[in-house]
Amino acid sequence: MVSTKSDRKLVVIQLSGGNDYMNTIVPYTNGLYYDNRKTVNIQPTEVLDIDGEYGFRSHMEPIKDLWGQGDVAIINGIGYPTPNRSHFRSMDIWHTALPDDIGNEGWLGRAIRELDPKGENVLTGVNFGRGLPRALAVRGVPVASVGNLETYGLFSDISDDSSRDLALETFAQMYGNANGGDAVMKFLGQTGMDALKGADILSTAPAKYSSTVEYAADPLSQSMRSVAQVLFADLGTRVFYTQHGSFDTHSGESATHQQLWMDVSAAIGDFTADLKEHGREDEVAILVFTEFGRRVKDNGSGTDHGSGGAAFVIGSSVEGGMYGEYPSLKEQDQLEGDLHYNNDFRTTYATLLEQWLGLEAAPIVNGHFEQFSLFKN
Amino acid sequence: MSLQDIALMAHLMRRAGFGATYQEIHENVSDGYDHTVDHLLDPNVSDGIQQDMLRRYHPDHSGGLGTAGMAFYWLHRMVQTQTPLREKVALFWHHVFATGYGKLAQGRVLMDQVEMFRQHGFGSLKTLLIELSRDPSMIIWLDNQDNHKGAINENYGRELLELFSMGVGNYSEDDIKACAQAFTGWTVSNAKYMKMRADNDSLWPYGRLNLHFEFDEDDHDGSEMTFLNETGVFNGEEVVDIICRQPATANFISRHMYNFFVADEPPVPQWPYREPRDPEAIQILSDAYFESGYNIAEMLRVMFKSEFFKSENVRSEKVKSPAELVAGVLRLTGESRKLTPKLQGDANLLGVMGQQLLNPPSVEGWHTGTEWLDTGNLVERINYAASKFADVNKPGIKEMIGRLAADAGGVATPETLVQDCLDQMGAISLSKTSMDALLNQASKTGKSEIGTDERETDEDILGELLRLVAATPDFQRC
Amino acid sequence: MQLLQISNVVRRQNKLTTTRTATDFLVYDRTLGVAAMEFRGFYYPVDLAINKEGRIYGLNRSHEGDPRGVRICMFDYDSNYFGAFGSVGEEDGQFTWATSIAIDREGLVYVSDEYTDRISIFDSEGNYLRKWGEHGDMPGQIDGPASMAFDNDDNLLISDHRNNRIQKFTKDGRYVSSFGKEGEGDGEFNLPWGVTVSSSGDLYVVDWRNDRIQRFTSDGEFKSKYCESGSDEGQLNRPASVAVDKSGHMYVADMGNDRVQVFDPDGGFVMTLEGQATVSPWAQEFLDASPTEASARYESDLRVALNARTGGTYEKRSHIEHLFWAPISVKLDLEGKIYVTDRNRHRVQVYRRV
Repeated sequence: MVSTKSDRKLVVIQLSGGNDYMNTIVPYTNGLYYDNRKTVNIQPTEVLDIDGEYGFRSHMEPIKDLWGQGDVAIINGIGYPTPNRSHFRSMDIWHTALPDDIGNEGWLGRAIRELDPKGENVLTGVNFGRGLPRALAVRGVPVASVGNLETYGLFSDISDDSSRDLALETFAQMYGNANGGDAVMKFLGQTGMDALKGADILSTAPAKYSSTVEYAADPLSQSMRSVAQVLFADLGTRVFYTQHGSFDTHSGESATHQQLWMDVSAAIGDFTADLKEHGREDEVAILVFTEFGRRVKDNGSGTDHGSGGAAFVIGSSVEGGMYGEYPSLKEQDQLEGDLHYNNDFRTTYATLLEQWLGLEAAPIVNGHFEQFSLFKN
Repeated sequence: MSLQDIALMAHLMRRAGFGATYQEIHENVSDGYDHTVDHLLDPNVSDGIQQDMLRRYHPDHSGGLGTAGMAFYWLHRMVQTQTPLREKVALFWHHVFATGYGKLAQGRVLMDQVEMFRQHGFGSLKTLLIELSRDPSMIIWLDNQDNHKGAINENYGRELLELFSMGVGNYSEDDIKACAQAFTGWTVSNAKYMKMRADNDSLWPYGRLNLHFEFDEDDHDGSEMTFLNETGVFNGEEVVDIICRQPATANFISRHMYNFFVADEPPVPQWPYREPRDPEAIQILSDAYFESGYNIAEMLRVMFKSEFFKSENVRSEKVKSPAELVAGVLRLTGESRKLTPKLQGDANLLGVMGQQLLNPPSVEGWHTGTEWLDTGNLVERINYAASKFADVNKPGIKEMIGRLAADAGGVATPETLVQDCLDQMGAISLSKTSMDALLNQASKTGKSEIGTDERETDEDILGELLRLVAATPDFQRC
Repeated sequence: MQLLQISNVVRRQNKLTTTRTATDFLVYDRTLGVAAMEFRGFYYPVDLAINKEGRIYGLNRSHEGDPRGVRICMFDYDSNYFGAFGSVGEEDGQFTWATSIAIDREGLVYVSDEYTDRISIFDSEGNYLRKWGEHGDMPGQIDGPASMAFDNDDNLLISDHRNNRIQKFTKDGRYVSSFGKEGEGDGEFNLPWGVTVSSSGDLYVVDWRNDRIQRFTSDGEFKSKYCESGSDEGQLNRPASVAVDKSGHMYVADMGNDRVQVFDPDGGFVMTLEGQATVSPWAQEFLDASPTEASARYESDLRVALNARTGGTYEKRSHIEHLFWAPISVKLDLEGKIYVTDRNRHRVQVYRRV
């Protein structure tokens, strides 16, 4: 089945903290890698080979399997001009698609506004996690932020159903009739009723869901399960967002990074299996990104903030392969001790927006950027 | 003690602080309104914060690795302070002189800025603006370390005029250049290394390094300039002095003060195009500004004692900021009277609700009023307040329920029960719609006998009622 | 006013002539550690313990905003790293507000948590064994175990700070005895913190909010007290910890004054340490991996004169990196070297007798 653009969904997984690119897509045939990574490295015997030159780190088998099926695009050397190695600032740049200014609007928030210009569906964008990432934040664009799908909504702390129903009934009286008040009261009333409606709709998703896929217990796997539940409930959601971390591996990286990628790979593997079980695999593209890569040299225990990293786009409609160039590890080619980025992150954004979601990218990503050919025709 | 006096005092304590308990309100009414205002403004009253204890238990309150420890520390102060207006004024200046963590990667230097607001935020605006210009976090935030003799960076000069003192439309582009020139050489020590640490988010090798101000005389352009029609050789201090003499400054600061303490105005960028909601109030505040020699405390005193502040028209007019909401709830529940690590969860929620302290979204600060609200954070706000008030194990709630049960003395009509709850929660008043819904609920639960039954029954009924009061749209307002 | 100032100067000069200078008593030896939120390194370390083989257990309290930082890092004087154990939480082997660490004769490691009022016990490799401790103010219950020390009978002394007393337990947590109550008199405490046992068997207790050290017999009889409130020599501001060497000299972590003071066995002032940290081997590895930042650092004047605005030692220390910033614990190794846990700088500074 070939999906139409209006069916297509984008699932974004943010790897918070700065994923170590060199230990994810490992240049294991390059002596310079082991020269620079004396302590924190992946041995050639552990690497899952990609193309005889590079390989996935150990414990990424599910993603390696998807790679084997031609469903994984690896975007090498992704970044932006004048790298900033602060988590906050760098994440802000990725979220607002504005490397030089402090922006107020998130790129996905803008995309949601284009997908649903009248704001008819409060669930066009759904974030799984608490608090709205700036990527989704645009004034006047409602996006649901779901901490826990099972208990999402008002009075989530009341365990007894009848007490909760009673409280919700009173709530509906108070907010539903607030339109007699001043402008602020009207706004509160409307927002409160929207929240109630959104929660009512979302609460139907877990009950409708059935699957043989058993997701792991880590938070990312659980979030991906919630993504699947909402997606299969067909609530009109087009953009899903979640995050995992912390990838900020300054010390003891070997153990932490391995566990993190076990989590991420398993979650993505299970989620794609779930999509296939429900025959929905052609509708979904997954973007995996992080705010920056890490230093070329390790610090004896971990790696520090760097620039130039990798993103992934994964899905049955994706034309798998290596995109961009793996930056040179030679000292003279480095940027202040970091890998030098060679493709702007907005190239990938623009590709996803235009080729996948069918939106005009330039106003969303603040300019015109070259695009990859990331999708099967 | 009239109901009007109590309602007015509750209004004052919400605006000049983070709300007050029933007893505090009653005590203040006995002391008198004007006396309470003067007491709130008295710099000699101790805040009662035990710094030695905080240092012992909470290392990051001084170490400042990120925003989390700082938000915890500031929230603790908002909840525990005996001088709430001092924290409120610091929060006011944090809204106006919005400086963000993202570009600094340093919590401590931002907390020092807030401490500077506590120290200078009540004094002369002139001193405050000079301190702000010397503030190392502000220097990095607005790139003044790149503002050199012969190579001016206008960022700080522009924002000082546009957002921190006069407002758009009251100065020319040449004034901006002159203003920036006056601040050339106002930098931080080891600027290159410090900026690199900020850009790298570096806490290595031994934790954050605090920033400090340095005036580099060799990098200061001391040539003659014309600024706001005055010509001379001006350093930053003189430029600030000229700024403070402008009526535009008096108006702009007055409008900020009105927006924060009296009633919500539209966002700052719309000010040049939209008249103040109450031009007369702005005039009164501007007059106080000049009469007192730019003294903020005197402006506040005039404001809190004015009819425009006391007016019924502005009561509960504002939407609570997340900080006002959370600190207000915690002052009533009493759960953090003893130091506890759990307060970190509350501090983190401020960010979830849209106000990560010390990390405003941009130099414009947070937009207030209904812009605090969307479906996501309204759910967070309601669930937060409602669940806290329904938790009958919290010491403050226990005390409330004890008093409610005692007051009811056995029998209570739904009307008296609801009214008692509203009083106990800080003398709040409700719209008719909310009141009807609550009365409906109070009569539905069936029980009107309170204080005679078993304690658990009281707790059940009253806990649910307190929960619903906290869930009213009215509770979202200040 | 002027007279008073002059007499102070005279007093200080007299004092100086009767005490030895810094260089002929103690010298700086080295710095250990680096800031790190996981595994190797420190995140707001609060204490350390050294076993007979010279393995050092550094206890990281971290802070509420970063739960990753909580763990015990195992290393040695030569900066070898042996792994880390423990994490944040209330399950077995976890801590919320870790305060102190001690090692018994068998080499088992004890860690106290002032939030759960629990003592957790690990073997020398960091495997969790068991726990004991119960909240309360009855004998044998604890409210805030701030510090621990084994006495010469291998019983565990705990400064039970919110109960203002010192309690003695057997190693398996059986209550033996206790002394002290709230107050300012001899043998009374105001939130006591550090506790240690000298080789003679005397107990030394840091009486935190009374700004003094009290000394007791092994039975808890008051013997003497040292120091008073203030920031001059011989004065303390919210001290955290004391160590006593074989000769009876006391090394006090005067945390509120951000310094370590040394006193002779009778409490006479000997010298003050302000902190002289240098780049540790682990810190050097960080700088080697970040060459651009390292070169900017080398070009900087890190001892730049201060114009600290809000004043006070606490602000000064946030600017100047080599000085102590909240020195929280002083411990000695078998050779008598002095290990100062420099909490807000995430490192340990080592000094030795000459």
